[in-house]
Amino acid sequence: MTNTQPYISIRHLQKGYKIGGEAISIFDGLDLDIPNGDFVAIMGPSGSGKSTLLNMLAGIDRPDAGELRIGNSYLNQMGEGARASWRAHNMGIVFQFYNLLPMLNAAENVELPLLLKPLSAKDRRDRVRKVLDLVGLSGRERQYPSMMSGGQQQRVGIARAIVSDPGLLLCDEPTGDLDRKSADDVLQMLRFLNQELGKTIIMVTHDPEAAKYAKRVLHLDKGNFVEEKRAA
Amino acid sequence: MTFSKLARKNMWRKPLRTVLLIICVAVAFLIYGLTASFVAGSQGSSAASEDVLGVTSVAGQSQPLPIAYLGRITSQPDVETVGYMTRLRGFVETENNVVSVSATDPARLMAVTGPQLGLTPVLIEALGGARDRLLVGRALANANGWIVGQRITVTSFQIAKQDGIRNWRFEIAGIFEGESTSTDTYFAIAHYDYVNASRALAQDTVSAFILRPRAGVSPSELAVQIDALFANSATPTRTQSEKQFLEAFMRQYADVGMIVNLVTGAAFVTLLMIIINTMIFAVRERRFEIGVLKTLGVSRRRIMMLVLAETLLVFIVGGGVGLALTKLATVLAGPAIGLTLTPMIIAKASAIIFILGIATGALPAFNAMRTPIVSAFRTR
Repeated sequence: MTNTQPYISIRHLQKGYKIGGEAISIFDGLDLDIPNGDFVAIMGPSGSGKSTLLNMLAGIDRPDAGELRIGNSYLNQMGEGARASWRAHNMGIVFQFYNLLPMLNAAENVELPLLLKPLSAKDRRDRVRKVLDLVGLSGRERQYPSMMSGGQQQRVGIARAIVSDPGLLLCDEPTGDLDRKSADDVLQMLRFLNQELGKTIIMVTHDPEAAKYAKRVLHLDKGNFVEEKRAA
Repeated sequence: MTFSKLARKNMWRKPLRTVLLIICVAVAFLIYGLTASFVAGSQGSSAASEDVLGVTSVAGQSQPLPIAYLGRITSQPDVETVGYMTRLRGFVETENNVVSVSATDPARLMAVTGPQLGLTPVLIEALGGARDRLLVGRALANANGWIVGQRITVTSFQIAKQDGIRNWRFEIAGIFEGESTSTDTYFAIAHYDYVNASRALAQDTVSAFILRPRAGVSPSELAVQIDALFANSATPTRTQSEKQFLEAFMRQYADVGMIVNLVTGAAFVTLLMIIINTMIFAVRERRFEIGVLKTLGVSRRRIMMLVLAETLLVFIVGGGVGLALTKLATVLAGPAIGLTLTPMIIAKASAIIFILGIATGALPAFNAMRTPIVSAFRTR
């Protein structure tokens, strides 16, 4: 990849599903470029393809046709094992419902992605401590998800997403289950990660307030981007 | 945190279910341990030698052989030492207190299996003091509370004296300990001359000859030689190793080995079905989390290993508890019951633990491995 190339490039992307024997097309020739260090919010009505696009960007679903490149990796050409390895090293994901493992405490949940890296136990602990400190959860390492508020759990989710220091952060409705105050805290944190640490962030959201934190807002409808706004 | 810790945490997330599974496995391995220990102990096969050969009538161990065979067996160049014995089975005081007395030539017995039985020159000398003296095995002595110098009367089931009475009086001259705790010492040793001279029938016969081949001689080849010697005689012989001999003796009553295999086989098949069923449900409950782990980059292979590790842990803990309980049972039961937990049983149990752990985890692990992330996320 040269410096002039976008970090994420989607060309002629096609994706469809079969439901009850009927073929339904989600994307039919989608194109999209996202430069490195961007913070993009993707909005759109239910069924517009937001989650499908996010799944393909995360490498957990494959396009039927077209090209999907992130950095130097062509996800559309990679098998499942290669995509899993790519996710472990290049991407962090933040879910709407946090998706923390209930039997692990905060530190253990955050440490999970590091188990896939050749790090010593001490290095892993140091990194976990650092990111928990970054998301404002110092001192809560041993708390289990059931003992935390939604906002705190989401911060653990963010810490888990960034602990491997990935270049790309995908957020699937990260504030969808939070009150306004907690949502703003989480969004401030995402903005910090984008502006201060240079993470490329793609956030799917229904919330126009959340979208305001992004640098760009893309509106998706029936598998096509119909509007793009630059943040103020 | 490590993946093995993650497997442990997964295992204990529903403690009641895990404890019940562990109990289930422990009971299965307790059954296996007890039955296998019973076979090993009661047949004495754990301590029985492959090198000591027993010669009995081909018609069965209850059919006597002429003692005249002794000379022909002794003359075989491949035979190092030969002993003989007549089995006198009976009871002491009450009919359910069954004892077995081997009437033998003590010096010959000493030469053939003295070290294995723990016979010493002092014991043999003590036995030689009078014809009605008896050496008692430690297990038999302990079970009856017998001490040296005590007089006992064995009422034989079959061998009567010339006056028709089946009571045989003996004086305990010593107690032999056996080479190890697994040696069968639940019997006594008497003088052949005393029993032979006094019995009404079958004089000058023996129940069996026991012999030890010369060094370097194949016991199985010698067995063929011995049987060939008497192939055309009135009483042909069957020569077997001590181990085969004891197993054949037990088979007169029942094929204990087959019973053990059937009982443990049924227990393990049931166990397998219960645990596979439980693990499939446990993994199905966790499909969403498996999707999360895969999203974080955990490979399919590692997901499979996580589930396999979980079932293996259940089997290792349950199997370990079952074997520990078996050991406890063998200690508490004492030698009279004849339970012997041998290293071979532990090795076999360990192999079964490993195989069943993998077998029961295979299907749920395969399901977990194949679950697509997208469909895993739909399960919430």
